[in-house]
Amino acid sequence: MIPFRLVFQPGIALSEQLLYAATKAIVSGQLRPGDPFPSVRSLSKELKINPNTAHKVVMQLTAQGLVEVLPGIGTVVASSLPKPTAAARAGLLGSELEGLVVEAKKLGMQLDDVLSAVSRHWDRIGGAEPASSAKRGTQNS
Amino acid sequence: MSSPIVTHNLSKSFRHTEAVHALSLAVPEGSIYALIGPNGAGKTTTIKLLMNILRASSGSAEILGRDSRRLSPREFARIGYVSENQEMPEWMTVDYFLRYLKPFYPTWDDALAADLVRQFELPGDRKLRHLSRGMRMKASLASSLAYRPELVVLDEPFTGLDALVRDEFTRTLLDRAEGTTILISSHDLAEIENFASHVGYIEEGRLRFTEEMSVLADRFRQVEVTFDAPPPVPANWPADWMKPDTAAAVVRFIDSRFDRERTGAEVRRLFPTARTVDFHAMSLREIFVALAMAGRHAKAA
Repeated sequence: MIPFRLVFQPGIALSEQLLYAATKAIVSGQLRPGDPFPSVRSLSKELKINPNTAHKVVMQLTAQGLVEVLPGIGTVVASSLPKPTAAARAGLLGSELEGLVVEAKKLGMQLDDVLSAVSRHWDRIGGAEPASSAKRGTQNS
Repeated sequence: MSSPIVTHNLSKSFRHTEAVHALSLAVPEGSIYALIGPNGAGKTTTIKLLMNILRASSGSAEILGRDSRRLSPREFARIGYVSENQEMPEWMTVDYFLRYLKPFYPTWDDALAADLVRQFELPGDRKLRHLSRGMRMKASLASSLAYRPELVVLDEPFTGLDALVRDEFTRTLLDRAEGTTILISSHDLAEIENFASHVGYIEEGRLRFTEEMSVLADRFRQVEVTFDAPPPVPANWPADWMKPDTAAAVVRFIDSRFDRERTGAEVRRLFPTARTVDFHAMSLREIFVALAMAGRHAKAA
């Protein structure tokens, strides 16, 4: 089994989608340091993708220091993960943000309307961070 | 990179019908090459020519470096061939069938064969004639992978199989396919879309294009242009843009040579009053339908 959920969307390179899903799982802590990471063969088999695509993604994850290959053991999530910057975290939401902005523009919304709608949802769902700091974060970046 | 399958102007006529016309393609080593096209386009005939089941009217093909007309048991021992209409010794049981095949293949791997039988849950003591269609195809694939062939040729392997069997079939193929070159003809575009590395599109016996899957996916986009009023129809429609659909204040068409900047500039030039322009990526199935429809229109015109 693949330890993260991935349903492919048409049109976006599969390697990009897989890289994104794996990175998100690692950065969000769904996969923890030392956890086994699926082999190229099982990624290919489970996701029904070309082994070359799976290989490419594992290479990219290795180069980014997110996974490491331990001889005799296999691929695992790196024991010391590079600390993701705010920009890197925001980058993981890139396509969602783009989709939101495009749809909002189509509806003729203003930036302020969108921000306050995001803010309301943020508050509704709750969590550790209050909405005001989220707003500040948006303005800073 | 070498190519386990190369054809040069391969043609085949049956009486007065030309089924395959001057087909030249190369299947790169290690690729998973999907041969797609409408019914009757010539996919199965092409594969039969490659496997020396049919003889070409003209042109030639090389399989594993050898002329397809001179393929010997030595080459066939390195090729796995699975076809939807394959003849099988119906009276044999699955176990007997596998034992029977083994002496023909120097690289036959008993442990792998047993693994495949287990993985596919094949009933070893059942006769081939009593197998369901799905079981038959799985038995055929198991018997073709058990000797670790360098080249696997699959002709419409998914036809008539339910989603679960298709899934098992694909997973096993990918699981056992490392380093293998695979040629697969299929109508099941959703199934092959994610694992094919190359695509060849055949129509009326002709190879319309052959390219890497990623290149194909990048160059097709559905473009949607919306307006505030009924849209104008430009006089000069670009050749790479397929026939547009117009409804109310929307124009929709497919660009077959998409480039974000170039297409964007062209749309703005042709539709200066456009309110929004969206580019939608397309699945292999959508691309196929667009191509097949365009082919039909061209024929009617």
